[in-house]
Amino acid sequence: MSELALLAGRHSNRKREAFASLLPISPNGFVPWLLPLTVLVLWQASASYGALPPSILPAPSDVAKAAWRLTLSGELLANAAISFKRAFSGLIIGGGLAFALGLSNGLSRLSERSTDTTIQMVRNIPNLALIPLVILWFGIGEEAKLFLVSFGVFFPIYINTFHGIRTVDPQLVEMARSYGFKGFELFRRVILPGALPSILVGLRYALGIMWLTLIVAETIAAQSGLGYMAMSAREFMQTDIVVLAIVIYALLGKAADGSVRVIERLSLSWHPAYRKGARL
Amino acid sequence: MKIAALQPNTALRGASVTLQGIGRSFGETSVLEGVDLEISPGEFIAIVGQSGSGKSTLLRIIAGLDQAYKGHLSIGASKGQKTAARIMYQEPRLLPWASVIENVAFGLGPQATRHQAFAQARTALEAVGLGDRGGEWPDVLSGGQKQRVALARALVSKPDLLVLDEPLGALDALTRIGMQSLLERVWLEQGFTAILVTHDVAEALTLADRVVLIENGRIALDLAIPFARPRRRGAVQFGELEEHLLTALLKSKSPSEEYVI
Repeated sequence: MSELALLAGRHSNRKREAFASLLPISPNGFVPWLLPLTVLVLWQASASYGALPPSILPAPSDVAKAAWRLTLSGELLANAAISFKRAFSGLIIGGGLAFALGLSNGLSRLSERSTDTTIQMVRNIPNLALIPLVILWFGIGEEAKLFLVSFGVFFPIYINTFHGIRTVDPQLVEMARSYGFKGFELFRRVILPGALPSILVGLRYALGIMWLTLIVAETIAAQSGLGYMAMSAREFMQTDIVVLAIVIYALLGKAADGSVRVIERLSLSWHPAYRKGARL
Repeated sequence: MKIAALQPNTALRGASVTLQGIGRSFGETSVLEGVDLEISPGEFIAIVGQSGSGKSTLLRIIAGLDQAYKGHLSIGASKGQKTAARIMYQEPRLLPWASVIENVAFGLGPQATRHQAFAQARTALEAVGLGDRGGEWPDVLSGGQKQRVALARALVSKPDLLVLDEPLGALDALTRIGMQSLLERVWLEQGFTAILVTHDVAEALTLADRVVLIENGRIALDLAIPFARPRRRGAVQFGELEEHLLTALLKSKSPSEEYVI
């Protein structure tokens, strides 16, 4: 919290408020969890009364036991850590490249003319269709996963950065120029803040694609990670571990989305749509 | 009422503006042709004209937003150094991601140090009556308040020349009258040269020392307004002059309207 407030800087009061509204302390924070909890209770009840055979779907309590068992053995944490590392390395590489290229194409017509058409062509290839080729290139080593994740997150971040910069209000740019702003100062004070809402939408999309790509890649070609854990459990009919992996995917996805929301609340608190009380 | 207190500030720091044979065409269409105008330091000029008469184009040339003109334009500050014109647009054009005070400090340009800029910005905000709103986001302000912030941003750098492109056009009648007296007050206090483009003849007569009527890209009328300040809209001479100007304005046709029955 203190670090976040520090990052928030000048408008720390408002931002602290915005941050507090994300914590599930208020009674309203409980509402979104009602449905998953109900499903969980029904699931446990039908498993306990024998309506669900464990080979099809194990009871939530068995999944929890599997989680505990794998946590104690250290297997769960090691696999999760590896997946996490792969996911975020890919995000940083692919997202970084996309952000840089989105900026340069948004700011320079020459850069746009020379690269945008190519990017739009490559964009329409589903990244998972590259798996056979990627295995041929890199085998099932780390490079394969890194490549696929980077490739997947590149396009949403590129397109939204580009679009964000191109849709910055030209009247504001004219105003800033008349006050002597140009070059990097114009970019920092006017263009980047104007493009930020769009860039963060791109990041949110990218995080979804990041997990999806990584899990599929790990399921098909890996010797460690959460996807591998689920796939090897299948060979021994350990449905509890398979379900555990799926639950972890859901939680990771939610956590990634939630973290971008926190970033949005903190950096876009000027925007009426992201202010306290306005939920997307 | 002490009229003497409302005369323009004698320690003038306004810029003089000289236009000689200014012309501007967009493709085949000529918008301005041979415009000559001499504006003395500290003078308040209103430019009126119908839509499409070229008045906004003239303003953009003076403001330095349009460089592709023919003829000669010179802006000289009282102290001899060259100064940049400050512009107030029809829209406030505030940065939505910056607080009110940051928006005002923005008017000092990229070189200003933060601490000093904020001190000056606070003074400018107080001058437009918004001293206590500095910490808020622009979008919680009303239209009139936003234009006051834009005015503070234009004035924070103590310009020699302020150029106003129908800045009150989008405001409601009451807010507009309030803004007019605010504009007159800061102009009298600070002594800059002001050039106002407007549709509103009464507004031109309330504020300006001289009203210039533009017709088909040329100056059709250049009229000194003799009334003492503050001006009373109810006065008989005011009404007569308003009617005279309105008649002149209505007689002038912009080229696009010649065939309308």
